[in-house]
Amino acid sequence: MNFNEPHLDYAGISPLIALTVGICVVLLSAVFKPTKRWAPGLTTIALAATAGLLIWQWDDPKTLITGALRLDDLAISISLISILTAGFCVVLSLRERATEEAGSGEYHSLLLGSVLGMVLLAQATNLVSFFVALETLSIPLYILCATNLRREGSLESGLKYLIVGSIGSATLLYGMAFLYGGTGATNFAGIADGIARNGLDGDPLILIGIAMAAVGLAFKTSIAPFHQWTPDVYQGAPTPITAFMAVATKAAAFAVFLRFFDVALGSQLDDWQPALAALAAISIVVGNVGALGQDSLKRMLGYSGVAQAGYMLGGVVVLSESGTSSLVFYLAAYAFMNLAAFAVIVGRERETIFGDDIRAVRGLGTERPLLAWPLTISMLALAGLPATAGFIGKLYLIEALVEGDYTWLAVFIAIGTMISLAYYLRVVAAMWMRPETEVASGARPVIAGASPEADPVDPDAGSRWYIVGPALLAAAVTVFFGIIPQPLVEFASHAGAALFG
Amino acid sequence: MSVYNSVDGHLFLPVLKTYLPILVFAFLGLTVGGIFAMLNHLLGPKKPARETAASRRQGEPYESGIPVEPTKGLRFGVTFYLIAMLFILFDIEVIFLYPIGVILKDADSVFVLGEMITFVVLLLVAFVYVWRKGALDWR
Repeated sequence: MNFNEPHLDYAGISPLIALTVGICVVLLSAVFKPTKRWAPGLTTIALAATAGLLIWQWDDPKTLITGALRLDDLAISISLISILTAGFCVVLSLRERATEEAGSGEYHSLLLGSVLGMVLLAQATNLVSFFVALETLSIPLYILCATNLRREGSLESGLKYLIVGSIGSATLLYGMAFLYGGTGATNFAGIADGIARNGLDGDPLILIGIAMAAVGLAFKTSIAPFHQWTPDVYQGAPTPITAFMAVATKAAAFAVFLRFFDVALGSQLDDWQPALAALAAISIVVGNVGALGQDSLKRMLGYSGVAQAGYMLGGVVVLSESGTSSLVFYLAAYAFMNLAAFAVIVGRERETIFGDDIRAVRGLGTERPLLAWPLTISMLALAGLPATAGFIGKLYLIEALVEGDYTWLAVFIAIGTMISLAYYLRVVAAMWMRPETEVASGARPVIAGASPEADPVDPDAGSRWYIVGPALLAAAVTVFFGIIPQPLVEFASHAGAALFG
Repeated sequence: MSVYNSVDGHLFLPVLKTYLPILVFAFLGLTVGGIFAMLNHLLGPKKPARETAASRRQGEPYESGIPVEPTKGLRFGVTFYLIAMLFILFDIEVIFLYPIGVILKDADSVFVLGEMITFVVLLLVAFVYVWRKGALDWR
């Protein structure tokens, strides 16, 4: 018997190794007394090390593990977005009730596990690594959603996400089975080959496979009409986790969306392009209209996420270098805009009795200007107002869509943006224009039977560095890339060139 | 089926045909299982028309004496569940060592040893975690 030692590029898989070691160390640190409180620090170190190793591989595309993974600039840029979001999540999770309840070590190692899945997913070029990565990403998230063990909403969120996510995964897997059945290949390039070789252009087998894979991915990226779980899960999950989920999951899922549809199914463009365009349009309408009536900020951001996913799907639809670049740009901008908003929500949740209700930010402009500004910038950026990264991102997306002969979808984005102003500006108005009629913070409400969960955990949360810092930083970056977008454009164009260059 | 013939379905039909053994298997499973379940009912001793305390006791292993304790609604301690789950986890993971064991001698490479050690270390991490968390304590 012969044994062929596989060639392993250790430099290429070093980010994955760093994350895996990080998971083990963080998990073990929590069960020994002297290192009990080290989990957030160790997690940050692991994330920083991974980011460093990824940046080291920048502009040096390579295929890893016999073609199961491809580490190119698209993978790296998406991974960096995920890691950055996870870093924010770690800071926002300091003093979070969910972290205490679930155990700091478990919480943080699950977070790292999810990041590992995302880094893998962004590199996946094989159905098997694709699916394994997707599950590695999802399973820790299901648990993280439910980490606020004493709140029913959190448990509900975890269970809902588990069930809906499993349906999404199952659908995706079924679609993959069809593609494999038709082409006899699991790696993306092999699927494209198989379709050409077996003359399967437009074959029902392949079409069913594409449709089911698209549906599975739409579940993960919360694209309407597969978005119903999004508001509930976002609202129930601990807010730092919601922030992480909203941004990082979307980034990783869109990376594989691009790679899968470009490399494996690029030849079937005419079949799936109109379908995805329709999904994007539905998403934009459903998300924006759904967000209008929401009083809970997290639900509102959930629906807004659906709409934003619709905008971003436009970047996949056109399947071009500019489409990919604009999608990556938008994802990076979206990360900062969303993180600023979620940081403020985390702070207000802890210091007021209103949780994530819009009443929590009433009068914020006079009470806590350092939180009001980031939230204002975030809302304006999400709405796509000029001088923010959100505006530049939408501009690039629309440009790519027009270039790719999907002008009507660009019109949808413009209309969606107009609708979205209504609910984004409502938050801004609540912050700056409403007089503080009700007791928003500090004093405990005189409500009989108020549960300890409803009480503010920390009346000064809104002035803590680990809330104000991330909020200000994310907002500052949003404005910075709105005025000087060049560095981020450069970053995103590398990602586009990786797939099409 | 004819629908797919019309679309040049030379590949689609054979794929569907490969599902035939599954259908046959499901059919056989249901029939054989069903027959055995029915046989018991058909050939076994019949219950008396009216169930009395005496007839119920006749069905028990020890006809006389106190009623046999564990009833249907017996509760198991959750510890059993935990231990069983941990056992399954570690048991299944160890199976992954067998393929390496088979090729270890022929391979004669440091790489394989490294892989094996990595795997065992990961298991060890899980074991230490479970141990320190007290999941192995019998409470």
